[in-house]
Amino acid sequence: MFSSIHSMTLFGMHVQRVEVEADLADGGLPVFEMVGFLSGEVKESKERIRTALKNSGYFLPPKRITVNLSPANMKKSGSSFDLAVAISLLSSMGLIVPEELSDTVVSGELSLSGDLHPVNGILPMVMEAKKSGFRRFVLPMANAREGGAVEGIEVIGVHNLKEVISYLNGSIKIAPTVLSVDEILKNAHDYPHDFSEIVGQLPLRRGMEVAVAGMHNIMLIGPPGSGKSMAAKCMPSILPPLSKEECLEITEIYSVAGLLGDTGLVTERPFMSPHHTVSPQALSGGGHVPKPGAVSLSHRGVLFLDELPEFSRRALEILRQPMEDKEIHISRTQGNYSFPANCLLAAAMNPCPCGYYPDRNRCRCSESEIHNYLNRISGPLLDRIDICVPVSEIPFQELSQSTPAYNEASASIRARVSEAAEIQKKRYRGSSIHFNSDLGVKELSIYCSLGLKESRLLEQAFSSLHLSARAYHRVLKCARTIADLDHKDKISYDHLSEAIGYQNGFRK
Amino acid sequence: MQDNKYFSEKITYLTPFDKAFPEKLKDIPNPPSGIYVKGQLPDPNIPSVAIIGSRMASAYGISMARYFSSHLSGAGVQIISGIAKGVDGVGQRTAIEMGNPTFGVLGCGLNEIYPKENRDIFESILKNGGLISEYPPDTKPLAKLFPLRNRLISGLADIILVVEAGEHSGTSITVSRALEQGKDVFAVPGRITDPFSAGCNQLIRDGAGIALSPEAILNALGLPSESIAPPDCKKKLAGLHLAKLEKKVYISLDLYPKSIESILNQTGAALAELYPALLRLKLLGLISETGQNNYYRNL
Repeated sequence: MFSSIHSMTLFGMHVQRVEVEADLADGGLPVFEMVGFLSGEVKESKERIRTALKNSGYFLPPKRITVNLSPANMKKSGSSFDLAVAISLLSSMGLIVPEELSDTVVSGELSLSGDLHPVNGILPMVMEAKKSGFRRFVLPMANAREGGAVEGIEVIGVHNLKEVISYLNGSIKIAPTVLSVDEILKNAHDYPHDFSEIVGQLPLRRGMEVAVAGMHNIMLIGPPGSGKSMAAKCMPSILPPLSKEECLEITEIYSVAGLLGDTGLVTERPFMSPHHTVSPQALSGGGHVPKPGAVSLSHRGVLFLDELPEFSRRALEILRQPMEDKEIHISRTQGNYSFPANCLLAAAMNPCPCGYYPDRNRCRCSESEIHNYLNRISGPLLDRIDICVPVSEIPFQELSQSTPAYNEASASIRARVSEAAEIQKKRYRGSSIHFNSDLGVKELSIYCSLGLKESRLLEQAFSSLHLSARAYHRVLKCARTIADLDHKDKISYDHLSEAIGYQNGFRK
Repeated sequence: MQDNKYFSEKITYLTPFDKAFPEKLKDIPNPPSGIYVKGQLPDPNIPSVAIIGSRMASAYGISMARYFSSHLSGAGVQIISGIAKGVDGVGQRTAIEMGNPTFGVLGCGLNEIYPKENRDIFESILKNGGLISEYPPDTKPLAKLFPLRNRLISGLADIILVVEAGEHSGTSITVSRALEQGKDVFAVPGRITDPFSAGCNQLIRDGAGIALSPEAILNALGLPSESIAPPDCKKKLAGLHLAKLEKKVYISLDLYPKSIESILNQTGAALAELYPALLRLKLLGLISETGQNNYYRNL
């Protein structure tokens, strides 16, 4: 008898529907054959399924068993087909009513005992199932919370094969898992680092606040030991709150990468800090079947590159395209994969090889040494950094004081950032723009119009400071964010001056 | 002998027997057996000053080189130096920008461009000045040749002005050669705690002339000079209608770069009002920025 059931598989971030067909035929020698352009791990599932069925109390009949995964021209990999194949088989054996399967999608990996193990990429699969009009999605219990974040489809978490069969046959009822994303996002977080731990550093604090409020790329420049890395570690504590849409976007990526924990949702903006020896592939995403890399794993969050000039040039150049397009494209023989990659790039570096420029009492670097050091970072990459801030060494008196003059805590910075984010959300409602940094050239003229005095300032600054065309847009976007933090509709002279002050000093 | 290649590149070779060979170079100890020249030679009837200093100059050294060079070359003095990084290059570039004669004495052949940072000087110096070397045109820049050429720098100059030099600077070689040749040496004083000026201050202690203003040097050359007041920053502000904070910020700065953080601490201003003030001062040309948000006064 023939039967079929729906399942899903992943191609990068793209979900593809797969039909799992099974047929039992009399005559000939008993054989269990799986076809449909399968990779090794899918072929192996034959043995897992046979044993899992046995340990759940079902024996495969000694017949000619053929399983096909359709479309058959597409290479299938991963372990998520186990459950679908098992159910399809059981249905063709007459143990599950086929009508129950027509509007159901199943996915999950079987263990030999018949228990279900979680699989990667559940969230995008459930989203796709909902889009395709399926009524329910049966998946391993460990994936239930993740799938439950999608509204409008019944997400049924099951523990083992027996439970699935009873459920599908109607002998037990399982309540769908529903996860209220809004509710979870409201919960406050604890952050390991807080801005109250940073002494002084007013320009740095302000620069960070502006960067985070508009999700602008930021570069921290300062001598060794001045607190660049520490400041970056405090960044998560002031990032603007996640919207539900963004939360699901991030969770999708983590789900595909298999990095989702037990929570089932990524409820914070990610903060990735790859070491400077990172390979280009680890940054961009890669592998035989590409997985998201650090750029994508920091989507809607922060990608922090400490000691920027130490990164390999090839790795850094990979960042250029995603920083512009907000997604990264990877080409393999099997096809092109694209992953979202809209992150805030935070970088830290010393101003010169020894790190103390312009303190000439300590810095002994020649101009050409400094030049070569900065040249390790390509101009186009520097061009995409909206804000550069100095990190200065803290004088001993300030460090030793028990109550330093200004060490505002993250909570109050975050409150201002959230307000600015709210203003941007309102302004860009209905468009694909989330933050000021997403503004394109077209939108700039709409949202960042300047008064006469301000235009003149910008013109003057450009001719005397030799700024590029991209710098022009950068300044405008950044000034927009500063105005938003100030709750002003119009960009003022002061906002613009501050934005110009954030331009990279070495290129001015 | 004039090789075709050298000739086509407008390089001439002069020996002491040539009429054009500078008299000044004949009298020095260990005179060159001949010199290669591209462009012009210094006019023997016009006074020349060598503006020299360390290659690794501070912002103060750079400003001072520019200040002295502009006044001296403005008064018609020919500027001699080695087109090195730092003080040398700045002094010569200033003269070139003003369209005045300046001459570079190289420690390598005339076909070499060293240091690369000063390529612009090599390209523009020939208009009103020249390049001089005692080494054949294709000689590579070798470390051992540079101390030797210093005797030609001091030899061609009437006065040696040391703008900025550390304790163990290559400048001291030029100074010793100058003293052997019986030339006057002037030094620009610096702070006694500043390692960049240690060499200059030492020269002053040892009896060098104190270059408090370009006027001192012009007087020593016997040139008429109206009194040149030392650069007065306050005077510069007159007529600019600076806001109170802008003035305060300007006064808090000096020739040594200061971070925005220390400007904040010194002026007690709010960060948001400091950015516009700094930008305005910068656009007015009163201050410059170096590194990330470090500011210093322009002279």
